[in-house]
Amino acid sequence: MARVLFDLLRFNREFTAGIILLGFVVIFAGLSFVSPYPPNDSYVVPFDLPPSWTHLLGTTSRGQDLFWLLTFAIRNTLLFGLTVAVISRILSLTIGLIAGYAGGIVDRILMSINDTFIVLPLFPILVLFYFVMRDSMSWVLLALVMACLGWAYDARLIRSVSMSLRTREFTETSIFSGMPMRQILVQEHLPFVMPIVFSTTMNNINWSIGLEVTLSVLGFTDINTPTVGVLIYWANQHTALVAGVWWWIFFPVALVIITFIGLFLLAVSMNEFIDPRSRLSRIGN
Amino acid sequence: MATAAPVLAVSGLRAYYQTSSFGVEREVRAVDDVSFEVGANEIYGLAGESSCGKTTLIKTIAAAIRPPLRVLAGSVVFNFGGKTVDVYDADQAEIDGLRWRHLSYIMQGSMNVLNPVRRVRASFVDFAFRHIDKPMPAFTDIVETHLKRLHLDPGVLDAYPHQLSGGMRQRVAIALATVCRPEFIIADEPTAALDVIVQNGVLAMIREVQREIGSSLIFVTHDLAVHANLCDRLGVMYAGRLVEEGRTAEIFSRPLHPYTVHLIGSLPRIGEVEPKKGLEGTPPSLADPPPGCRFHPRCPLAMEVCRTHVPPMATLESGRRVACFAAVPESQP
Repeated sequence: MARVLFDLLRFNREFTAGIILLGFVVIFAGLSFVSPYPPNDSYVVPFDLPPSWTHLLGTTSRGQDLFWLLTFAIRNTLLFGLTVAVISRILSLTIGLIAGYAGGIVDRILMSINDTFIVLPLFPILVLFYFVMRDSMSWVLLALVMACLGWAYDARLIRSVSMSLRTREFTETSIFSGMPMRQILVQEHLPFVMPIVFSTTMNNINWSIGLEVTLSVLGFTDINTPTVGVLIYWANQHTALVAGVWWWIFFPVALVIITFIGLFLLAVSMNEFIDPRSRLSRIGN
Repeated sequence: MATAAPVLAVSGLRAYYQTSSFGVEREVRAVDDVSFEVGANEIYGLAGESSCGKTTLIKTIAAAIRPPLRVLAGSVVFNFGGKTVDVYDADQAEIDGLRWRHLSYIMQGSMNVLNPVRRVRASFVDFAFRHIDKPMPAFTDIVETHLKRLHLDPGVLDAYPHQLSGGMRQRVAIALATVCRPEFIIADEPTAALDVIVQNGVLAMIREVQREIGSSLIFVTHDLAVHANLCDRLGVMYAGRLVEEGRTAEIFSRPLHPYTVHLIGSLPRIGEVEPKKGLEGTPPSLADPPPGCRFHPRCPLAMEVCRTHVPPMATLESGRRVACFAAVPESQP
């Protein structure tokens, strides 16, 4: 795997660009640990200052330094995306592999649940969820809910691969040698679907960050934890664009776009790696 | 040669594929009333054209069946050093205990038994480790010694299957199946995808392993040349039934069943100039086999009795068996 990553880094421009962009975002998020200001304190610096050397990205109308505030925001946003991705990957892998391998009635039950989740309209459900939860809404809770809604497409994808793996000779031999089902799935089938999982993880992070930003901008999340969406929400509340505080909107949006492009490039280059035709040329390396 | 205590005794085995969907029931009689025995240290060949039930038969013997394939009647009894196990009367733990250690199965297309995304070593560990009660270093030693004995470089353990050639993969698959030195090996067309030169090498390897371990072997292929080369005894199947059985040399020199006669007559011989005549017709559908002898619609010797009665397996001198009214007139009702 390390070798594959190194080759991708060397020969695949999309991958290199994606890694650089994402690396930048991650380092930026890491700066939050050395921030001089706690994220929720306001009026610690003069307000509405444009970008300058003392305040790199300017200050907000609430007297916060935008640079340091943004480090917290992007950290929370990335963590949110990762949490959703990890939990939904676990769900989709478990359900996809089991459904594809077991077949029959198990497959039918799991896939009817799966299809139910595919047709559910996500956005209205998330808004409804906010109105029900109101004050007890936190980003951890939102991440859990989105993970529960975000696994279905990929579970179907993994199931289709697993169905074909089930009929291969090495699966038959595994069964014949007395391997338990759990071991067959984890040791024999999981390595096959890992590339797909990597690729869909990127897409899943993009999807969850996008939805989180949308919900936050509209104020349908916990607005006291700074995320990129929450930052934009507060900027809108203070009519930042009308007041001429353009940097309050511009920098969060720019950062989230950089994150999206980075993840997208990674997903695309991973897809190229998964494509059997391009993989064929790598055989023997 | 079959001795007093055969390692494998199959009797009256019936295995059908039964499907039922939307109220339509279908039954494919892939293995119908098959009985035979395999003795210790013997290579038993199963011949017959494609779709005559060879693979189904040995899957059933190996207890590697999954629905819709079901065993309706008969028994498969293994006898490993005095311990007898009836595969369809034993619990799962007992069968699991047999596998790999006593009974191993080289599957059809077995060059694909190696997981393409894992190293060969991982496949050895996955399939065989549980069956050898040894710690990992001792297990590695056993595997490497075994590979060396089969003239394979232990370096293949660190390769991925796609880095090996087809013949190499086939050899590794055979090594994998024999690493626990099983008393009984079932090989389903292990040479099907190989050219004759590699095939020869693989056959030599199988024979060598079999001699060295002293195990019994069932060898399935439609390639009669391979059977003539390898097997001590030969069973010929037609449409789900065993029609003739005997020592390989005898069957080749004096086939009794008309199907065997044509099968062997179809082999090209050096110096022959006349064109070969094929049998009319095709093998029957096993979902709706003809009544009586299943070969009668194509049989040049067919009689009235063949259309209504199933010829019983008649045992002749020296253990030769054949199921045909024309070859054994005494068996007619």
